[in-house]
Amino acid sequence: MKSHARLAAAFLKQEKRAHWHDQALWYVREKRDRMAASVPDWEALRETAQAIKRHALANLPRYLEEFEQNAAARGAIVHYALDPAEHNRIVLEVLKSKNARLVAKSKSMLSEECGLNEFLERNGVEVVETDLAERIIQLAGERPSHIVLPSIHIRKEEVGEIFHEHLGTEKGESDPTRLTRAARTHLREKFLAAQAGISGVNFAVAETGAVVICTNEGNADLGNSLPDLYIAVMGVEKVIPKTKDLGVFLRLLSRSATGQPISAYTSHLLGPRPGQEMHIVIVDNGRSEILQRERFYKAAFCIRCGACLNTCPVYRRSGGHSYNYVIPGPIGTILAMHRDLKKYKDMPYASTLCGSCTAVCPVKIDIHRQIVLWRNEVVEAGHLGRAKSAALKTATLGMKRTRLFRLGGWTVRKLLRSLPPFVFNNRLTIWGRSRDLPKMPAQSFRAEYRAHSKSKTNLSESGLNREGRS
Amino acid sequence: MTDTRRLILDRLRKHAIAGDTSYPAYSHPHAGISDLRRSFQSVIESVGGECRYVADLEAARKVISGSEILTAAKTICSHVKEVAEGNFDAEAKSDAHQCADVDLTIVRGALGVAENGAVWVNADPLRHRALLFLSENLILVIEGRDIVPDMESAYARIDFTRLRSGYFISGPSKTADIEQCLVIGAHGAKSVLVLVVG
Repeated sequence: MKSHARLAAAFLKQEKRAHWHDQALWYVREKRDRMAASVPDWEALRETAQAIKRHALANLPRYLEEFEQNAAARGAIVHYALDPAEHNRIVLEVLKSKNARLVAKSKSMLSEECGLNEFLERNGVEVVETDLAERIIQLAGERPSHIVLPSIHIRKEEVGEIFHEHLGTEKGESDPTRLTRAARTHLREKFLAAQAGISGVNFAVAETGAVVICTNEGNADLGNSLPDLYIAVMGVEKVIPKTKDLGVFLRLLSRSATGQPISAYTSHLLGPRPGQEMHIVIVDNGRSEILQRERFYKAAFCIRCGACLNTCPVYRRSGGHSYNYVIPGPIGTILAMHRDLKKYKDMPYASTLCGSCTAVCPVKIDIHRQIVLWRNEVVEAGHLGRAKSAALKTATLGMKRTRLFRLGGWTVRKLLRSLPPFVFNNRLTIWGRSRDLPKMPAQSFRAEYRAHSKSKTNLSESGLNREGRS
Repeated sequence: MTDTRRLILDRLRKHAIAGDTSYPAYSHPHAGISDLRRSFQSVIESVGGECRYVADLEAARKVISGSEILTAAKTICSHVKEVAEGNFDAEAKSDAHQCADVDLTIVRGALGVAENGAVWVNADPLRHRALLFLSENLILVIEGRDIVPDMESAYARIDFTRLRSGYFISGPSKTADIEQCLVIGAHGAKSVLVLVVG
């Protein structure tokens, strides 16, 4: 497995594409900002959203039971799954019981997490992703590079190629409208032919047993209303206590995700439609463990809006595929680390710790703080790697001894200035590979501070402060 | 399954969530909307839909009969007979798949939300809820007094006790999945006209 740094370097080799990727996501971030600013109570909404999550997740067994009872009373069949294997097995059994061979599937990060598509395909069920971006990804044989904009890394010309090969569109077609129309026609056939629909869930309301799903394309809605079998899959954390709470989360979700006031469709399903069978699969897969970790439980508050990806300077410039976990970016990092500290040890370092993720998070997860804490865990577990460990050890030594620190500073100031740049900017120096040394100051901070304090004392004696006001 | 269920619930009881975990008392009305009708209309337009205010159902009928969408539509399914007759009876079809070629559907909406242009459609009176998403075009008819400022006030008015399915629909179906270029008409309606009566 290649590290984030290596994969990012490969991504950045295509300079134009990398720049375009960066700009495309920044455009979404700016839309989000305008939308957030248009709601006068935005910050209070974020506070409330977190308070509701805090309450709901601290009382999750009660709310899950309430949700289950209400959904069952409406005629839905509720299942629980501990891990991906159990989740996949349940879904397959349900599909088989109805002899469903073609599934119209809507976007679900949970099913990505569980590897559902591959599992079903292996067992003879054809799964068609119906979200346009997911379909592009599926036909290209890739995985999503973003949780809300899965094909953000693919150019329209490439979509044209993929559609030419699989949907028979004209060669060289790259007009987004015509390509979208072709996908509409192709997927409409699939919707009408599918014996089952599968979708993720945005919110599950305990009070009523309602499953709430947000889409712009209307694909989840066709998928859950047309076939005689519909399966909704959701993580345990999706349950919220009351209908009223939707008024908080829906106001935050689309504005944070894509800078829209609300998604085009927000479906509320309370049990199956007449003549339909509806199943709800509730999955843990490590969520209960996240909630058991004192410093990290807030990661489970996430509503999967993707705002932290759009704003992250590292994500924008390295692309979703440079992260090895199924969910990339800042939120992906703090989720991946629960899965496998060793395997994903480089992810907390794919961050500048600028805190922009925390600033935009609609449920106020302390994302960048958690990233620092994960670095801590990586070091403690001894997964840092030799070069970085050695550098940190040296730094620790210097920080502990004043004299050594001064000597180090002096050396760097005097010596490095006179050395040619290649000594530092070579392949062997990890830090110097893509960075220049800053300009060295003439004297140390200590010396400068001392000189400054002296002049300040003189100034205050003359009755003036630093700005020269009396 | 029962074992799994018990195991998951037991694990969830051992959470480490600290601080105040009580259910918050809150209310966040959208204070930034001075003119409900204007805001509702402008948001719908900004999301690619159309919104017209008409005095009564007769005026609504005139708007519809003069619209390009109606002229171009071959198969029309109307659930609001006062504004259009229609020529396709979805209620008579036993299977939603038989509604696949509907060009225009006209239904009533129960609420309009000024902050996001969404219209609440209770799909329970429809035999086939899929019609709302299969139809190439959609006309939603709502009453002028049913425009509320925000989602909080919208949910306060919706009764979920007997509801089976309800939808907020804000403008036409859309996607920006190809290079962030907005394309109207992904899988659902390619156009949405909201007629506000009175």
